[in-house]
Amino acid sequence: MRAAGLGAVLLYTSFPRPSAVAWLTHFVPYWNEGLLVVLPSGAPTLLAAFSKRMQGWIRSVCHVGEVQSVPHLGRAAAELLGERVPGASGIGVLELDALPWPVAEPLANVHGPRLIDVTALFAAIRQPADDTEIKLARRAAGIAAKALDSIPRAAVRASPVLSAIEKSARLDGAEEVQARLAPDLASGTVLRRLEGDLPLSGRYAVELSVAYKGTWIRVVRCCSSSTPASWRKAERWTSEWATRTSGISAGPFSGDVMFWSLEACVGTQPYSVVASAVGPRGTVSAGTLACYSIKLQLPDGPWLGAMPVVIGGKEPGRLLVDPLRD
Amino acid sequence: MSERLRAERRARLAAAMSAEGIDTLVVAGNPWRSDYLRYATDLVPMEGHVFAFVEREGTARVIAELPAEAARFSSEQSALQVTWSASLIEEAEAAIRSFGRKRIALAPLAAVPYRLASGPLASSIAPATAMLDRLMLRKAPSEVDALRRAAALADDGYAVFREAARVGRPEYELLADVEAFFRLRGCPENFQILGSGGREVRGMHPPTERRLMPGDLVTTELTPCVDGYYAQICRTLVIGAPSEAQVRAFSVYEEALAAGIAAVRPGATAGQVALAQNEVFRRHGLGDYVTSEYTRVRGHGLGLYVDGRPAVLEDVGLVLEPEMALVVHPNTYHPEAGYFVHGDSLRVTTEGCEVLTRTPRQLFSVPAG
Repeated sequence: MRAAGLGAVLLYTSFPRPSAVAWLTHFVPYWNEGLLVVLPSGAPTLLAAFSKRMQGWIRSVCHVGEVQSVPHLGRAAAELLGERVPGASGIGVLELDALPWPVAEPLANVHGPRLIDVTALFAAIRQPADDTEIKLARRAAGIAAKALDSIPRAAVRASPVLSAIEKSARLDGAEEVQARLAPDLASGTVLRRLEGDLPLSGRYAVELSVAYKGTWIRVVRCCSSSTPASWRKAERWTSEWATRTSGISAGPFSGDVMFWSLEACVGTQPYSVVASAVGPRGTVSAGTLACYSIKLQLPDGPWLGAMPVVIGGKEPGRLLVDPLRD
Repeated sequence: MSERLRAERRARLAAAMSAEGIDTLVVAGNPWRSDYLRYATDLVPMEGHVFAFVEREGTARVIAELPAEAARFSSEQSALQVTWSASLIEEAEAAIRSFGRKRIALAPLAAVPYRLASGPLASSIAPATAMLDRLMLRKAPSEVDALRRAAALADDGYAVFREAARVGRPEYELLADVEAFFRLRGCPENFQILGSGGREVRGMHPPTERRLMPGDLVTTELTPCVDGYYAQICRTLVIGAPSEAQVRAFSVYEEALAAGIAAVRPGATAGQVALAQNEVFRRHGLGDYVTSEYTRVRGHGLGLYVDGRPAVLEDVGLVLEPEMALVVHPNTYHPEAGYFVHGDSLRVTTEGCEVLTRTPRQLFSVPAG
């Protein structure tokens, strides 16, 4: 902020955009929304669209200075900035373009010319992850792995699979559990959101995203009553690729790769696509907490994988899950 | 969701767009505000943001932010033209420009981003959002059917919650049991908050690590989703035998809920439903506890969003009509007992209302041993 000459930075948070504020304060607003006002000195102020009686809960789950319960975030922020930020200095807004209109409009009306998008600035400091975040991610990955281990071996319907995953992950303390499922790998690899139930074939895949104390990870596991040898090879190959690369912008694969992507948390969302087989071709720095997802065509059919990883630099990267479990 | 319901919604939307003179409706959505997008396209984002460009004649183009979501949308509805872009808003802006001189409107107000809203379409947001709100307020028979099933599932979910609430268990384990039950029943989403403790508790929140203790009041609102439609139940239980103060307090909430439900009929306003509940508290000398210091709303609309229109507050003049759906809940703090919740889902009928919730309206008690 000092280098950019900013008098304040605003960070928006909501259920789909919780990650920037969670990273700075550990606050996740669940069903509501908030704006974090960061000034060059002092603890940040949280403007929350919760009623006053929720302040006790807010204070118990996060680290901020002042908490203000406000009915209109944008108006309250405009007023606060007017009081506390010198007239000439710029006001940074993370992902300004994406700010919801009811929040942005009053801000723009009062401070329009001073609003500066700081998405790139924030992305530049958001990664690499620190040790604490990596520990949380490792814990989340452990929760996810255990949840996938709890899948009934003889499952023939999706609902018991999703139920077992949900129960295991929540009992281990996951605050968000999101599962998508490709019920029959032979007929398609699209990961579906299930409403109701579906039969499972002998080979299916589950993608599981888990949040633990605001830190998200994602894994994919292919399931079969008898694991094909090619799946083992694919897991090994993918994990080697994921850990040996540095500042990756494109995969080293050819031939059997149907799709790959690299996602990382660089803004308000838990994951953004940084690079993929079809673009964009962004880069991440060593030490970034990321997720590789890949789709391979193997001799005995398609295979999906996703794994959380700390991107390598001079040292190899680190996988946060063991791909070669039994 | 059935093809029939999807077709019904599209026909209603096309007629409304025609009446409003809209050629293309740009609908924004995300995993929290998916209601408008679901109404217009039957798509439900799980991650990232989405824009759908809905033409009056029914064709739709969709831009998602993540490749997995785009692939899923394509597989769910092969007629849609779906792409993805990591630069979603720029892509949406370019798409809007490509429509040239067509009459375009943006919605909903809550999800439209600054960059799109601050352009020439700003004036279209409020009327387009209002148009969709009107369409979503009165439910078609198949929407009522989904709400009915959601309410039944909420009843079953509350039975699971009662079984789960035992001394020594942390709040998050209760949620684990309920969510696992809902997944087993094919329910993809449930909005649930809860609270536990005594007079110090002022509201509900996402589950914490607090462990239940004898004498606790345990509150929850459970809101499962069936075919996109959310129904809600609010109940309070006591760990062990209720105290006299808890029983006395509960009787006020029971009276208020009954009064609120009795006030629901076509022609009444949402404000009158709130007033009927609040007057009960005032009669009992508890008027302070129906102010914003202690509570939020006396209920709200139900449908494709967990907290829909209308908000049941005394100053809300929206007139109730048959086939609207609401939860009525006089949830608030009681100075002798703590935070209480008590609420039922219902639909407005031509005569009054039909209560969809079947769980008895009582102060539940579970063993403390």
